[in-house]
Amino acid sequence: MEARSIQSGKQAIPEISRKDRLKRHWQKYALIYIFLVPILIHFAIFQLFPIAFSLYITFMKWPVIGTPEFIALDNWKAFFSDELAWKAVWNTVLFSLYYIVPTMALGLILALLINTEKKGTGFFKAVFFLPVVTSFVIISGIWAWLFRGTEEGMINRVLSVFGAEPQLFLSNSSQALIVLAGLSIFKVCGSTMIYYYAGLKSIPHEFYEAAKIDGANGWHMFWRVTFPLLLPIHFYVAVITTIGSFQIFDSAYLLTQGGPNHSTTTLVYYLYREGFTNLRLGYASVLAYILFFIIFAISIIQRKYFGKEVSYK
Amino acid sequence: MHVKGNVVYIPLLILGFLFLSPFLIMISGSIVSMIMPVGNPFGWVLNESLTLSNFTYILTNSEFLRWIFNSVVITFIPVFSQMFFAAVLGYIFAKKQFPFREGIFWLMMAVIMLPSQLLIIPRYIMFSELGWINTYYPLIVPEIWGILGVFFVRQYMMTLPADLEEAARMDGAGDFTIFFKVMLPLAKPVIATVGTFAFIANWNDLLTPLIFTTSQEMYPVTVGLASLLTKEGNFGVEMAGSVISFIPTFLIFLFFQRYFVKGIALTGMK
Repeated sequence: MEARSIQSGKQAIPEISRKDRLKRHWQKYALIYIFLVPILIHFAIFQLFPIAFSLYITFMKWPVIGTPEFIALDNWKAFFSDELAWKAVWNTVLFSLYYIVPTMALGLILALLINTEKKGTGFFKAVFFLPVVTSFVIISGIWAWLFRGTEEGMINRVLSVFGAEPQLFLSNSSQALIVLAGLSIFKVCGSTMIYYYAGLKSIPHEFYEAAKIDGANGWHMFWRVTFPLLLPIHFYVAVITTIGSFQIFDSAYLLTQGGPNHSTTTLVYYLYREGFTNLRLGYASVLAYILFFIIFAISIIQRKYFGKEVSYK
Repeated sequence: MHVKGNVVYIPLLILGFLFLSPFLIMISGSIVSMIMPVGNPFGWVLNESLTLSNFTYILTNSEFLRWIFNSVVITFIPVFSQMFFAAVLGYIFAKKQFPFREGIFWLMMAVIMLPSQLLIIPRYIMFSELGWINTYYPLIVPEIWGILGVFFVRQYMMTLPADLEEAARMDGAGDFTIFFKVMLPLAKPVIATVGTFAFIANWNDLLTPLIFTTSQEMYPVTVGLASLLTKEGNFGVEMAGSVISFIPTFLIFLFFQRYFVKGIALTGMK
């Protein structure tokens, strides 16, 4: 009896310590097991799996109803001979040409005005930022009214004051994309302003002092000091506005439905139409990959040529 | 940079007026009784008879209230869960030690660099298989957390001194107590930023609900308003709908503006 109890006593010691170890392990990692592990599973299901799956879909003929069928590279081949797809890519490039530089320039101008820190600039900052938080649907409704292609249209009436002929705007295939770019400039330049405003705040004061001693006026100060010192901000803003411009969809769907004559069929609008109107999910997946490749290439190019790290201190 | 004189108010006032005028047109268009108003929008309010009939029309003759309700459901559930998960995962990635911590975090960050359009089609197929089309699930379940919010909180918590945590541990506090009693209160401003971002993203989203909702009574307000807009309807009614759907955005903006601006600046300061 005695021997047995000693034996079991010997065994009990490591057992307690294992329990103890488990307890300590749990105390240390409980948060990770309870919150991080489920999120990792969620991440695998809703992010990682769809990304892998989307590549698989590009090799399939995948109708919304019916059984999918393996067609190897046919969807990819179809893209290269699809004139409308190339037009959609071109329209998207054109849109970004209309959109990027004005958004950056206007954002910088607004930031410079706000940065004077005069009384009431806080109010104006809020006003300029308001379109950023407003939905495309609301702004598009107002835009449709402003840019009506008749003589009564608001913008046409303003133009007539300057003696210009009434324009068709959204019904004119060479103007519609510009009107959509105008909408995006109005909607986004408030956030560009915030980036530039933060950038202006980070420029050390000594730079201005030094320039002043050298006798620089405001104009020179801006082009010789402020503008070059904002280089990292220019770079960052250029990257995000470019990426944003390639994903433009809402206004093309709301205002022009890709028309007239496909002039506002942007890449994402075309993806939406192919996938969910024409029900070609495999082909739409190829278009999503084309979008991905373009955005990836732009990020690489911009990083290589403009992404020089700059430090002032 | 300080500019002498008040010259700066001239461009500020002109630009301020230009930026505000679409909103003024929206409001005045919603309260005048003209089907397709023409002329000077700032004259309507003075020259035309004012009415609330556009509002009563949209509230009674469409599923507008239902759309607002749907938007509230698909916005507020993600907003609160994104705030919570941003806080707790931000703390975990900033302060806890565990294998593959950095690898997991940067893998998650890398994935959001991909355009979100890449996910639409595979998710559409997945959700069709699950029978989720035209339910709230596709609009809520993928949105319950977001890595950008986690990133915000992580960046913030990494700046907090380790003494803070150690002092609490000396007092016998465990992870949960430290997180809820010490870290969470300190991170409130960052978490508010996460919430405002999530609100704007979900309340204003058009493409996702356009794909995943197929019947009028499941539309959120963006898709509902879009269906009025693309039908070439009555301008006053459209604007009344716009005004109502704009009120929550405006209130959030009014109360949380500084968090929002801070968040925008944060993303640029990586």
